[in-house]
Amino acid sequence: MRDVAVIGVGMIPFGRRDEDTLMDMLAYASLKALDDAGLGDKSVDAVYVGNMGGGVIQHQTAIASSLVDRLSLLPAAAETVENGPASGGSAVKAGLLAVASGYYDTVLVVGGEKMREVTGWRATDFVATLTHPQVEYPYGITLPGMAGMFTRLYMEKYGVTREALVSVAIKNQEMGGLNPYAHVEMAITKEGIFDDPAAIVNNPVAADPLHLYDACPVSDGAAAIVLCPLEMLKSPAKPPVIIAGFGQATDTQTLQEREDPTDLKAVTLAAQQAFERARLKPSDIHVAELHDAFTILEIAESEHVGFFKKGEGAKAALAGKTRLGGQIPINVSGGLKARGHPVGATGVAQVVDIVWQLRHELPKNRQVKNAQNGLTVNFGGFGNNVLAFVLRRVEK
Amino acid sequence: MKKEIEIVAYRCKKCGKIHYPFHDRCLACKSREFEKIKPEGMAKLLTYTRIYNLPWGFDQRYLTIGVVEFENGVRAMGQIHVDESAHLETGMVMKPEWGPVRKQYGEAVYGLVLKPAG
Ligand SMILES: [Zn+2]
Repeated sequence: MRDVAVIGVGMIPFGRRDEDTLMDMLAYASLKALDDAGLGDKSVDAVYVGNMGGGVIQHQTAIASSLVDRLSLLPAAAETVENGPASGGSAVKAGLLAVASGYYDTVLVVGGEKMREVTGWRATDFVATLTHPQVEYPYGITLPGMAGMFTRLYMEKYGVTREALVSVAIKNQEMGGLNPYAHVEMAITKEGIFDDPAAIVNNPVAADPLHLYDACPVSDGAAAIVLCPLEMLKSPAKPPVIIAGFGQATDTQTLQEREDPTDLKAVTLAAQQAFERARLKPSDIHVAELHDAFTILEIAESEHVGFFKKGEGAKAALAGKTRLGGQIPINVSGGLKARGHPVGATGVAQVVDIVWQLRHELPKNRQVKNAQNGLTVNFGGFGNNVLAFVLRRVEK
Repeated sequence: MKKEIEIVAYRCKKCGKIHYPFHDRCLACKSREFEKIKPEGMAKLLTYTRIYNLPWGFDQRYLTIGVVEFENGVRAMGQIHVDESAHLETGMVMKPEWGPVRKQYGEAVYGLVLKPAG
């Protein structure tokens, strides 16, 4: 197996992009990554596109075939990878394995989603199609609803308070405000969404006990990376970052069949595999992008990947340990909560943000000083298909 | 409302593990032999939520949804039919029924409906 380097990254600002089609967004992000890799007028061997909803929302299939044509990347091999909200991570995995194995040398991975094309009503239903078609979906359960049921159990078992959840929302929106690619740029205060008696108006219940500001927005967006074998990098223009480790695990589709529904086994296993492969441990990580589709998930994942003991994640968040400058800065980009969550884009965008961190390319107010190792977690379903990547800066 | 809860759960003939929904192989021992069982008795509320942003297909303001465990160990999701102000808490006993949970093409779709017992 060959070491695989990320030689180019690109992203377009997430948000509501009424002027762009899904294909526009995928193309723009791809060109940015190709340019960043110095391949602006070159071809690649293969393309993997992470997308969940093209068939459902845009009524368009075989998106990767269309993209290589549009980008003049013919005759590159091309596939669309659908794995729910982990589609982006799965596309990165496909590219990683293809290069590591020696089959392909240069691979473009792009993830994108256009969700604002339909009403919130339809978008909520689209994401809910990942639930069990007979024993969950008919009841009207949504992903926020799954998260609400999970949060209640987590609060009761570990004493997690709403105040801890609110602290995650505030941190991530504050960081999103500094990120030009983030969907949500509005900073929020604890008074405005929690303390004040009128807070319930600004921050109503969304899926009890979760409130509006506990959830990520519905976004359009795309992100892309270019991969090649580290050994082929002779005189790289930018500090090389490799995908040092990868892990993936699955769990039961329904929460009810998990012995302890607060135990996100797939997160633990995916992270363990990624750390093992990278020969690193959680304490070696300097910056992490976790899948905070809901504030509770940032806290729960920070425990399950091994940054904190079970039950300590909420205290760590409240103590500022996950802020920039803290013990382990989490979601310095603003996370899904503020950068947004165009589902197929997320897993790729997380890698882009970590590469920027490890190249030390970000402005001072977002850069984790001297970061060498980073972690991403892309959480599919409600934790039933999870991918983790450990990235490492290589000093040549 | 119908009296009979039309849920079929599957008990592994080899190790006894109860499954709902159906799996082709037992999640514990990979055996393919199952005995069909019905949920029995009252249902204990394991967790629940009330959602206000409903998916397409629901023309109402909110939905209350929970996961329960029946007395014989079958676990299932269901809709909790109570007023917005009703008190709910995990561990409480719910009376299970089989009733309409949504409409599709103008027809009622039936499913597990839960109401606080007593
Ligand atoms: Zn068995």
